[in-house]
Amino acid sequence: MVAIWIAVGVVAAVGAVAALALGIADKYLSVQEDPRIGLVTAALPGANCGGCGFPGCDGYARALVAGTAANGACAAGGAACAEAVSKILGVAASATERRVAVVHCCGTRSNAIRVGDYNGIADCASAAAVAGGDKGCRFGCLGYGACANVCPKHAISIVDGLAKVDKRLCIGCGKCVNVCPRKVIELVPAKATLHVLCNNPLRGPEVRKVCKVGCMGCHLCEKNSGGKEAGHFTFDGFLAKVNYENFPTDAVIVEKCPAKCIVEDAHFESGH
Amino acid sequence: MKTVKSSFKFHGGVHPEYHKDLARDKAIEAIPLPGTLVISMSQHLGAPAKCLVKAGDKVVKGQLIGEKGGFISANVHASACGTVKSVELKQGAAGGYANAVVLETEASDETAYMPPLDWKTATREELLKRVDEAGICGMGGAGFPSSVKLNPPPDKHCEYLILNGAECEPYLTADFRMMLEHADRIRTGVEIMRKVLNGPAVRIAIEANKPEAIAAMETAFKDIEGNVEIVILPVLYPQGSEKHQIYATVKRIVPEGGLPIAVGCVVENVGTVAAIADAVTLGKPLIERVTTVTGDGVNEPKNVLAPCGTRYEDMVAFAGGAKENVRKVLSGGPMMGFNVADLGISTTKTTSGLTLLTEKSVFQYSSHACINCGTCLRACPMNLNPAAISCAVESDDIADAEKRGVMNCIECGACSFSCPAYRDITQNCRRAKAAIRARIAREKAAAAAKAKG
Amino acid sequence: MRYIVVIIGAVLVNNFVLSRFLGCCPFLGVSKKTETAVGMSGAVVFVMTIAAAVTWPLDHYLLQPLGLGYIHTLVFILVIAALVQFIDIAMKRFLPPLHAALGIFLPLITTNCAVLGVAELNLKNGTPFLESVLFAFAAAIGFGFALVIFSGIREKLAHADPPRCFRGVALALVTAGLLSLAFMGFSGLVKTPY
Repeated sequence: MVAIWIAVGVVAAVGAVAALALGIADKYLSVQEDPRIGLVTAALPGANCGGCGFPGCDGYARALVAGTAANGACAAGGAACAEAVSKILGVAASATERRVAVVHCCGTRSNAIRVGDYNGIADCASAAAVAGGDKGCRFGCLGYGACANVCPKHAISIVDGLAKVDKRLCIGCGKCVNVCPRKVIELVPAKATLHVLCNNPLRGPEVRKVCKVGCMGCHLCEKNSGGKEAGHFTFDGFLAKVNYENFPTDAVIVEKCPAKCIVEDAHFESGH
Repeated sequence: MKTVKSSFKFHGGVHPEYHKDLARDKAIEAIPLPGTLVISMSQHLGAPAKCLVKAGDKVVKGQLIGEKGGFISANVHASACGTVKSVELKQGAAGGYANAVVLETEASDETAYMPPLDWKTATREELLKRVDEAGICGMGGAGFPSSVKLNPPPDKHCEYLILNGAECEPYLTADFRMMLEHADRIRTGVEIMRKVLNGPAVRIAIEANKPEAIAAMETAFKDIEGNVEIVILPVLYPQGSEKHQIYATVKRIVPEGGLPIAVGCVVENVGTVAAIADAVTLGKPLIERVTTVTGDGVNEPKNVLAPCGTRYEDMVAFAGGAKENVRKVLSGGPMMGFNVADLGISTTKTTSGLTLLTEKSVFQYSSHACINCGTCLRACPMNLNPAAISCAVESDDIADAEKRGVMNCIECGACSFSCPAYRDITQNCRRAKAAIRARIAREKAAAAAKAKG
Repeated sequence: MRYIVVIIGAVLVNNFVLSRFLGCCPFLGVSKKTETAVGMSGAVVFVMTIAAAVTWPLDHYLLQPLGLGYIHTLVFILVIAALVQFIDIAMKRFLPPLHAALGIFLPLITTNCAVLGVAELNLKNGTPFLESVLFAFAAAIGFGFALVIFSGIREKLAHADPPRCFRGVALALVTAGLLSLAFMGFSGLVKTPY
């Protein structure tokens, strides 16, 4: 019986000494640092799995606070963790309105006119850097899926040679916008329902050479939405663009578009 | 003047089949004036020119229609008389769009050239101004404005003027014919450039497989004074690359990311030199060039003297038309040329050739996994590790590719050419370079936005 | 001579991670990048050496005289954990550059099995103090050696295109196994005392 008490006593004494030393050290030797690091570390799962590529949760938290790491790399914590972190860091606070990605192109295999064979690397950036793929249009979606590959929510799929965004899944992170070599994807307010699905600023005949449904810049959409003063559309060369600050909603615009490149709600459901 | 053999061989390089016999014996022929010319405002490296004309304007051959749009930029002149039909975005051979003047030509002998200069009496500044005004840029392929090359910064001195007559690209013979038929113009150009650059030594670099050109140059430069040498280069692709030519002729290595002037060299294509001679002695701006229309896909391969802005379809028609089984059209040669899908594209100051290949000569392949054989390392003239770069790019690790020096890649295609697994290595390098440039541009834009507030 | 044999034995022949399979967690977790692997190795060397130096006198002058050898594991964990925390705090204050390089790894390995393992092995083998510390130091070097090699391989493998089922951890484990097999080749290099 005495032996047990000796053991308990020794362990307790060692523990007490250690605790005292740590307490003193913390009081007199501690260094002030960004308090958010501690908060973020607490928000992370604390598994120190290293799955994010950083040395443990603390390392990742530091990188997050320093702004050198992307939020959402913690697979263990998942979306809830990313949200908690973004609350601490105030990232989400800036985005007031939900934005989703729209691919401004409707050049499916049947709509876009092929001008050659492309048998190089099946990747958007590679195709854009060399020959531009097999579609004739140099402004539209290449259809090799760079955006689908970077999408963290698998909200983009390639359907019939064209990238499509599932509005329900899109979180508006903008990764696809950055990766697209053709700059054909844009983040727009989720509330907007009409979109011009074309990105080709060339004249009508030039567009027609490469696409059956490209915008020709006829300004009919502008007329049908109340004229120039209404300001629902802007024009870049011969390309109509929806003014997303003041987006139109009238379905007549869709019906009257002779090129059929203005559509109502360009999103689809991917089935994910 | 003497002729020497180059004894400096750069690392790497490949030996493609040259196929130069298709057009090498065809004398330069001028194309009859086409009905329509599409003159791009971006025929050179750097900022596009600012268009000075509008639809309906009448222009005269040699008239300035595009004013240089920056320090690294070049003037653009009308290649023929006619009426401007429109000014619109047109696709170039590399795929990008630029403003272009669509000109309906009319047959007329009227010209609006600049007054001729006597180069012997003209001052250096006058000559330099003329080269600048004539819109002359490197005609070898990249299109670097010559006025910038000829006016090195005050702390740099040009010790060697290297004339690039290597023409290592398979199929093309335009420079070869220039050397053969216009040796006198080249000599005048060299003397003008020598004056502008304050008397550097001159090296005329020609590959050993062009003995006729070497002989023609020897005759033309026989009685020239000063330090002039014809350097016979070993036949090796990419011998015509600026950096490798400097190494092969004067054994100097251009530093990473630097221009040849950093090692006291100025390299100019033989065609450009002839154009400089014309600009000074005749006052003629750079409005036409020799383009080789070749390949087994054309009926009569030719070296065509055509105004800048001639559409490819006119060029092909002049060369006897295309054969039926043409599979691939390249602007340039097969190693570095751009694949074009539309013959409505027009020539520029840098179009050295148009190669049409039939099914027989187009190699269809599918690429396999890297077998780590190292053939591309031996082939790479820039001493890079193309296999590692390519693998890194394929797994989207652009940062690693950058660490491995992909920005030094000259996109010569030697790696893809030599790869036994048929991997698209050069394409991966181009992709990495495009991605890195895009990133740098983004960072710059972000920094600018931050500085603004 | 004996010390050299101890070092070779601990680094190559009985490599902590590849032969004794101690410290597998950081070996797999922090081996994605060579830079972090080097930092981790440094921290392990530091902690393991100190742990050996502290646990040896603790055992010899406190636990054994009191006949408490059977609770050494408990006491060691307690002491090592507290010590590492203390060093972490002190280092942050007095040696910020060193803390920036090693600090983030320190909390990760406070109660790592390699650290505890070295103390246990010393105890089991009854090694004298100096040799214990040397053994711990060499074992940590061996750990770092294996970690850096492994991270180099993983960096290269990151660009490979393996079949889908092999991607990620699966391939890392296969690689670790092969690396372990390779280290088996060192067995018999020297006759190790333990």
